Amino acid sequence: MKKASSLSELGFDADGASSGFFRPVADGTSTPTAHRRRLTKISVIGTGNVGMAIAQTILTRDLADEIALVDALPDKLRGEMLDLQHAAAFLPRTRLVSDTDSAVTKGSDLVIITAGARQIPGETRLNLLQRNVSLFRKIVPAVAEHSPEALLLIVSNPVDILTYVAWKLSGFPASRVIGSGTNLDSSRFRFLLAEHLDVNAQDVQAYMVGEHGDSSVAVWSSVSVAGMPVLKSLQQSHSSFDEAALEGIRRAVVDSAYEVISLKGYTSWAIGYSVASLAASLLRDQRRIHPVSVLAAGFHGIADDHPVFISLPARLGRAGVLGVAEMELTEEEANKVRRSAKTLWQNCQLLGL
Amino acid sequence: MKKATSLSELGFDADTASSGFFRTVGADDTCTPTAHRRRLTKVSVIGAGNVGMAIAQTILTRDLADEIALVDALPDKLRGEMLDLQHAAAFLPRTRLVSDTDLAVTKGSDLVIVTAGARQIPGETRLNLLQRNVSLFRKIVPAVAEHSPESLLLIVSNPVDILTYVAWKLSGFPVSRVIGSGTNLDSSRFRFLLAEHLEVNAQDVHAYMVGEHGDSSVAIWSSVSVAGMPVLKTLQDSHSSFDEAALEGIRRAVVNGAYEVIGLKGYTSWAIGYSVANIAATLLRDQRRIHPVSVLSTGFHGIADDHEVFLSLPAKLGRGGVLGVVDMDLTDEETKRLRRSAKTLWENCQLLGL
Repeated sequence: MKKASSLSELGFDADGASSGFFRPVADGTSTPTAHRRRLTKISVIGTGNVGMAIAQTILTRDLADEIALVDALPDKLRGEMLDLQHAAAFLPRTRLVSDTDSAVTKGSDLVIITAGARQIPGETRLNLLQRNVSLFRKIVPAVAEHSPEALLLIVSNPVDILTYVAWKLSGFPASRVIGSGTNLDSSRFRFLLAEHLDVNAQDVQAYMVGEHGDSSVAVWSSVSVAGMPVLKSLQQSHSSFDEAALEGIRRAVVDSAYEVISLKGYTSWAIGYSVASLAASLLRDQRRIHPVSVLAAGFHGIADDHPVFISLPARLGRAGVLGVAEMELTEEEANKVRRSAKTLWQNCQLLGL
Repeated sequence: MKKATSLSELGFDADTASSGFFRTVGADDTCTPTAHRRRLTKVSVIGAGNVGMAIAQTILTRDLADEIALVDALPDKLRGEMLDLQHAAAFLPRTRLVSDTDLAVTKGSDLVIVTAGARQIPGETRLNLLQRNVSLFRKIVPAVAEHSPESLLLIVSNPVDILTYVAWKLSGFPVSRVIGSGTNLDSSRFRFLLAEHLEVNAQDVHAYMVGEHGDSSVAIWSSVSVAGMPVLKTLQDSHSSFDEAALEGIRRAVVNGAYEVIGLKGYTSWAIGYSVANIAATLLRDQRRIHPVSVLSTGFHGIADDHEVFLSLPAKLGRGGVLGVVDMDLTDEETKRLRRSAKTLWENCQLLGL
């Protein structure tokens, strides 16, 4: 049985197809090129569970006029694209394209990279990192060439280091290279607090910053609801309050991802919503503040010559990172952020970029 | 490392947690949560596989429910999927998410969506697969009906037409409250192919596939239209060797759409997720929209009154379920095909002894 996904493949002539239905008005010229400049294009590199959850959420939220998917596996890639296209009757019209060749990303407003090697059992973290750098060497310069004005959003892990790598390999200004960072960790943090306080998570102001990983920093000093600090309230509701209790909460957030992975094999939905939320802030010029991985040199005592990327609350808009919030941290919090940055910088230096 | 998903588990007392922040107004601090809860919309999804989760996540993104309950036989997978949705709390309106391997968690649902089903073992006869799914439905459906006696039932598991009949029999629900996802998605694929060809939005292509969701589905070419104009004639004009075979080629491309995706990525998920969320929105928001879904088709298009068979026809859906079925104008040939579809389905239903 011949497989076909267009009527042209089935022998129907497309050129005259519309003419039976539509006729242009008297002066029938239109300027498609001009229009196309205003159409929003998002590319997603990597169509695994994470990449597809991101692409599908972006599609449902109607954030783009065109979505391009890229992956190394051609069948998987085509299958995923078709599965989205088949929903055409239920969605606003979004052009969906896919190719193993990243040329399909040309003219993107936003390129989201989820591609990354998985850790082989027994492999050192540095080795995994080096394999991912090799992968990024194949992907990033090509993406930058095809869309020199694009915003680059890195999701692949370790995200802070790979965002630095993407920045180096793309040659883009740091304002246009962002890592998904602790945006999701902060959501998990706010979820835990919100459930406990019986409020909507969107009313809990709480940031996790620093490394997206074990050394992330929960900025307790500024956690608040309705402008009121939460820390004091937790001290009152917990009989043996101490640093260990707060650290327990932070670890619960850090472990959340591992917990989901051990239960269902991977995470997808939450990171999909997280990245779609970043995409919306960027492309719709929302000026919203998100804790994302940005060039942190010069903030909180991080040395100017340590061009390390870590998560800080950053104001995002159509031009990318519009600014980074100069949070007031306690001395201990600032120390932790600096320690996070130091470890990351040491890893970056080993990469020789 | 102790795994915790709530501060209570970490030793923080939840009872007084809010009190430092909120104080009730006036002296009369009664509020009637029970009354409110009656107005909160609850959707349950049975089966947390690729299809069930794509449905649940799309319903969540579209903000269609106040509460979503997930049920599956595998407790770890189930819990992992629930947590993965809960972690997105900061990016979504507040939706209560619960899950359990015990169907009691579906209690009080407005809509229950069943995606659970056995997969075909290589070499297994279709009838055998069907009988295994009937056994599964015997475990699921009566319990679901007992926990939510007023609910709408939406069946997605395949073969959907027969399993919708099974669910109807096992639930004891009125036929207006038992629906199968049917050819809603097939029709979308049909409309997508035509829309791409004509360069219009798929939502402006009116085209129905009816009958069995499967090999014997019927493309109703006689009523395919765009802007009120019949499409069939245009296709005849643009195709040099137009004939039945060409139309059949398009219908088969639609039927094979699912197989193609399965052959490429291993399963389908996104499209059926959107399709079912689309039906859920029409039902829960009382939209009165017409969808081709699997309904009791007895008495339509010459299908015998004693053939209690479910197959897809364009049906008007709303909060009460199936509000009516469109009595389409079909050609003789289309009617014959539909009746053949019904006959095959009915023969299978009779073998089940329900």
